[in-house]
Amino acid sequence: MPVEDLKKQQFRLLKTLVYRLYSFSPFYHDRMKAAGVHPDDINTLEDVRKLPFMYKRDLRDNYPDHIFTATQDELVRYHVSSGTTGKPTVVGYTRKDLDNWTTALARSLTACGLGRGDVIQVAYGYGLFTGGLGMHYGAERIGATVVPASVGNTERQIELMQDLHVTAIACTPSYLIHLGETAAKMGVSIKDDTSLRVGVLGAEPWSEEMRRRIQDELGIRAYDIYGTSELSGPMFTECSEQNGIHIWGDLALIEIVDPETGRVLGPNERGELTITILQKEAFPMIRYRTGDITVMYDGVCACGRTHPRIGRISGRVDDMLIIRGINVFPSQVEHTLMGIPEVGQHFQIVVDRKGSLDTMLVRVELSPEAFSDKISDIMSIRQKVGAILRSSLNISPGVELVEPGTLPRYEGKAKIVIDRRKI
Amino acid sequence: MPCYGIPQYTMFWNKDMETISSTDLEELQLRRLRRTVRHAQENVPFYTNRLKEAGVSADDIRTLDDLVKIPFTRKTDLQAGYPFGFFAVPMKQVVRIHTTSGTTGKPTVVGYTRQDLENWSELIARNMTMIGLTEDDIFQNAVNYGLFTGGLGFHYGAEKVGMTVIPSATGNTKRQIEMIDDFGVTALHCTPSYALHLAETAEEMGASLETLRIGIFGAEPWSANMRHELESKLGLKAFDSYGMSEMYGPGAAFECPEREGLHFWHDSYLIEIIDPATGERLPDGERGELVVTPLVKEAMPLLRYRTGDITMIIKDDCPCGRGRRIARLSGRSDDMLVIRGINVFPSQIEHVLLSRPEVGDQFMVYIDRVNHLDEMTIEVELNRDYFSGELQDLATVQKRVSGALRDILNLRTTVTLVEPGSLPRFSGKAKRVIDRRGEVF
Repeated sequence: MPVEDLKKQQFRLLKTLVYRLYSFSPFYHDRMKAAGVHPDDINTLEDVRKLPFMYKRDLRDNYPDHIFTATQDELVRYHVSSGTTGKPTVVGYTRKDLDNWTTALARSLTACGLGRGDVIQVAYGYGLFTGGLGMHYGAERIGATVVPASVGNTERQIELMQDLHVTAIACTPSYLIHLGETAAKMGVSIKDDTSLRVGVLGAEPWSEEMRRRIQDELGIRAYDIYGTSELSGPMFTECSEQNGIHIWGDLALIEIVDPETGRVLGPNERGELTITILQKEAFPMIRYRTGDITVMYDGVCACGRTHPRIGRISGRVDDMLIIRGINVFPSQVEHTLMGIPEVGQHFQIVVDRKGSLDTMLVRVELSPEAFSDKISDIMSIRQKVGAILRSSLNISPGVELVEPGTLPRYEGKAKIVIDRRKI
Repeated sequence: MPCYGIPQYTMFWNKDMETISSTDLEELQLRRLRRTVRHAQENVPFYTNRLKEAGVSADDIRTLDDLVKIPFTRKTDLQAGYPFGFFAVPMKQVVRIHTTSGTTGKPTVVGYTRQDLENWSELIARNMTMIGLTEDDIFQNAVNYGLFTGGLGFHYGAEKVGMTVIPSATGNTKRQIEMIDDFGVTALHCTPSYALHLAETAEEMGASLETLRIGIFGAEPWSANMRHELESKLGLKAFDSYGMSEMYGPGAAFECPEREGLHFWHDSYLIEIIDPATGERLPDGERGELVVTPLVKEAMPLLRYRTGDITMIIKDDCPCGRGRRIARLSGRSDDMLVIRGINVFPSQIEHVLLSRPEVGDQFMVYIDRVNHLDEMTIEVELNRDYFSGELQDLATVQKRVSGALRDILNLRTTVTLVEPGSLPRFSGKAKRVIDRRGEVF
């Protein structure tokens, strides 16, 4: 579609969205009122800038479903992702929302050269995490054979890949490297002994260097994928040019803003990705600050697709960590530890990459009352802390208990996270 | 179609098909059976040969009773066809692959065309509508997603009905309970033993679970006592679900609100009850092994598949107006175990142990129920060559063996190493499995 027509369509969709939310969503109505903007003020695509931003904390404050603009009988799905403290973030979907999400991914997977006849192993987690089911629906839409392998059991994943003649895999880039290494130990070369030719990799940041390594060692083409559950889930990928992720303009309107001032930046200027989902029924998103740092590219892609492109995600504006594809907020760790009387309020998070997999260690001080020289006491506290953290973070961090008063104290901004990973 | 006599409360997803007259049903079954036999004979080399050997061809199926001319298909046949030996359509038409536990190291592979997924979802939609679920319901699907058919099967069916699906999958019991209360969940699907675990944890947390009204429990056998316990503890009505990956997955048969047996969907499956020892067909009302011939499967047709499940066809008609029912399962004709909803064959365990040089090939399996959850302990003899006297060695061997078992069984087990020669040797039929769970069926 020519760029001009796409922009016209985006404007029409934006105008409709703003009118609809002003009329039917108490949350957005109040937001727009407070910002002194009325739907009639939106007369060009650039007028989107008049609308107020939306933040992750707005989702938390409206837990579980106060932002929803669909009735119970229209909702067909909930997904749940990690919140910043305590309660998770809940996203609701109507049938149309699922359809748009699936359409976005179907286009993306097609842009990666996949289609009918391909066998796609979906090795993202299924369930509340959007990666598994999202990719599953997208792959089914393009007519590929879907192997819903989900996560874990790496040797079985490799056997399935060989035995079922898998041609493409969707997983995190670090897991694919781990898979390649495990295969080598089993005496299997992904390059020579399997039919794998494409990897659709995301849910954590990775680099061009990792891409080169994966492509060379495994003999495949590796494509970057982007999305977060607030937008629906994974939605956008690179095309065969591997030069930026195409953001489908009829579904999403993107801006790059200065994270400090909120000023909209120009092409090739690095800033925070802000997204307005133009067609979303249950859980509308206007100018959502994703927290992800990237740039928007200028000009039309060599593949012919006119939809805007963004570069790789190069970091976060906040302190969110991504451990094995799962988002973890230090505030969530803090909130969880505060609820356990046996430990104090001082803690440290150490993130490392062992082999190709992320590890997370939480070091926390025992409270003076719980401090004991009996090993069995300490063991049972450690187990308890580990179990509670696992249940609130959805990952299993290591736990190290230290004596009261041994962790560093900070006067200014606390340096709670030590990230030793090199990506 | 006359609908008097059918209670007012009954809802139907596909009323014409669910209350089809027996004459029309038999005509439909025969047409579909002939098509299925032809499809298998022409497109699956295994069946081409098998039918030829038996001297029977699709043209010989003139009545439903002619089905007995066709030889049985067993799980071991599927195993021998690994991975794609039973696929009857080109891979381009296969849109989904699931796997289920095999009898040895490799899993059993099942494939689906787009139409298969559609048929499967339709059956689940019928089941859910039958027990009073509608698009207003909020459904928490607390079973394993992924390769296991229970998760995605119910997910697609519930979505078809238009319910709000929470794909909570397994694990994180506290979060599961929070979601039930926070989202006002009205219907829950999980294994019956996990449901009891959930009820106890909820009580400890002081969560009310007051919005729950319907529970769908399957993947493992459960008793009438357990139904009573589940209903009083969770404040819901509990329904039994039956199926297996070889017949798409769960949903092949399901209890209606009468809860006196499970309705099989006879337009999609032809069922027989046989004497597992002789293979003779048994009359209605007699218990035996369930044999199923799916009638609408495209990607992977099966003829007279021996399920290994023991049940009977109930003689009386159900007041709800749907077709003939089977009784709730009352055992297995083979040694398959169901541990936390996962099927385990002792032969798989043997296969794993044989591949580990650190241990011998004699073993014992103990199954217990701890806090409503199944625990499996495997005793195996250590091979002295791998023991230097260091305790560290024992831990390493134990970890390796339990890791290998987990990879094949998809199940966490406890491995106990014992002295060489200390486990019982069996001269006749080995009794390697001691199930201490008490009344299950």
